[in-house]
Amino acid sequence: MKRYLNGPLLVMLAPATVLLGVFILLPMLLTIWLSLQDWSTQTGFDTARFIGLDNFAEIFGPGSVGRDFKTALANTAIYTVASVAVILPLSVLFGLLVYQQRVAGGVVLRTILFSSYMVPMIAVTLVWSKLYSPSEGPLNQILGWLAIPPQKWLSSPDSALGSIVLLNVWQQVGYFTVLAVAGLTQIPKTLYEAAEVDGAGPVASFFRITLPLLRRTMLFSGVIAIINAVQVFEPVALITQGGPINSTNVLTYHIRRVGIERSQGGLGSAMAVTLMLALIVAVVALFAFARRGGEEE
Amino acid sequence: MTLVLPSTASRRRLFRQAPRPRDWFILTAIVGISVAAAFPLAWMVLTSLKTPAETMQTPPVWFPASPSLDAYGKVMDVIDAGRSFLNSAIIATLTTAGILVTSLLAGFAFAKYEFRGRGALFAVVVATMLLPPIVTLIPLYRLVGYLHIDGSLAGVIVPNLANAFGIFLMRQFIKGVPDELLDAARIDGASELRIVFSIVAPSVVPAIAALALFAFVYHWNSYLWPLTVLQGHTDQYPIVISLSRLLSYNRGALNTGLVMAGATMAVLPPVVLFVLLQRFFVDSIVSSGVKG
Repeated sequence: MKRYLNGPLLVMLAPATVLLGVFILLPMLLTIWLSLQDWSTQTGFDTARFIGLDNFAEIFGPGSVGRDFKTALANTAIYTVASVAVILPLSVLFGLLVYQQRVAGGVVLRTILFSSYMVPMIAVTLVWSKLYSPSEGPLNQILGWLAIPPQKWLSSPDSALGSIVLLNVWQQVGYFTVLAVAGLTQIPKTLYEAAEVDGAGPVASFFRITLPLLRRTMLFSGVIAIINAVQVFEPVALITQGGPINSTNVLTYHIRRVGIERSQGGLGSAMAVTLMLALIVAVVALFAFARRGGEEE
Repeated sequence: MTLVLPSTASRRRLFRQAPRPRDWFILTAIVGISVAAAFPLAWMVLTSLKTPAETMQTPPVWFPASPSLDAYGKVMDVIDAGRSFLNSAIIATLTTAGILVTSLLAGFAFAKYEFRGRGALFAVVVATMLLPPIVTLIPLYRLVGYLHIDGSLAGVIVPNLANAFGIFLMRQFIKGVPDELLDAARIDGASELRIVFSIVAPSVVPAIAALALFAFVYHWNSYLWPLTVLQGHTDQYPIVISLSRLLSYNRGALNTGLVMAGATMAVLPPVVLFVLLQRFFVDSIVSSGVKG
């Protein structure tokens, strides 16, 4: 039986809702309000001066502020799409290896993959910066054994962002593998048995049964992967500082640099609001895409 | 096949049934991916044990000729590692304790009370999960200034004492606690708070364990917020921020051993916790991801 109890209800709800209200919802509303103000982060909120959409005009304008922001926005979009496009298929592939029962080692694989998800991003950054070292690093040495020429990794504008995607994939893929396994366990085994009776091979079963029934899991994973990807910060802050030639300047790094280090709170907030809107569009688009795929089945 | 993996408790065989050609492919894939995935951390530990000369060789040396712990001693000299570890432990422990209490209470309210606006309020709570921290960073930085907790561990901890994921997870699990159990306690005169802590909490121990581990690891590893709120107060730095100073200690290859030793030290607590308790992690991800 459920109850309607006013006193205890308040006691239960107050701590969490007050904390979330003060430290998440209020700052979110302040970000939106500040995006319309001329305001220095060094000073109180009372010094903010309303300037309409000027901040947005500037961050999308032709000046250097606009150029840097648009580059950061584009880099973040590329980084996010690349991360999601690599992580989701790998998570299904690894998930199948963990889930299958015929060959031992699935749990060992899961443990190793998920361990890197526990590693602080700062340590991932430190380790990979040394792995990528062009002369003393092991990655170019291994490529050499495979007769592949040495890469410049983080030190070339052509490969730096991709190198950060790669270390991010290494850190995150274990988490998404566990999600994929959770999705796989929901698929009734009888479907596969029926398909086998009908003469379907493993490839046909995968594309006709596994993938369609993993759609909800993939949608959930996709949303989380997008939210995680826009948070990339440590490798950029610690190693590339957005370079070489702005090639790794991503939004979390850029917004913090503008809004905190340069104290341009209004401009930084306008960038944060743009990021929030972009995320809403991306997530809605993902849901629409998943629904359309569902109707085609 | 009679090959037996020594690491598994039940002496499971490499193959369950007579292997098909496909099974050899699966085995190769599992071994190959495991080795590749384990490589960065293995390289980290190996390099932390090398001499400075070995870390600078081209092509790189894989195994140290005579493993040495010198780099670890050097880390202790360059950064105040003891203090940083203590700061990390305080941040992670207090934040986790706060999250457990607020999540248990709010999770109970959302699972077991009917009240006007419950659905809407819960939707707002869940929506905050999807908000990347950078979106609120600038005003939050100013807000903790108003509260006079910037530059201190309190400034790192207080804004994170409630957490939407925790509330969500607790609600999912507390829903499964039978109402009859709660009503029996009410008839015996137990207060609602007493019911939460002495009846509900013991029934959802696996979820509490999972949430505690998640929160601890997340806040042990957290970098962006402590860096922003602690700017310059080096004596308050958690280990992950102190570590970043190792990279600028010496440019280029000179600091490699030092960096790897520091990274190994910071990685140990979360990874050891995970390996010991991975069952809880995995179960809670499964239930939050699928039942959600």
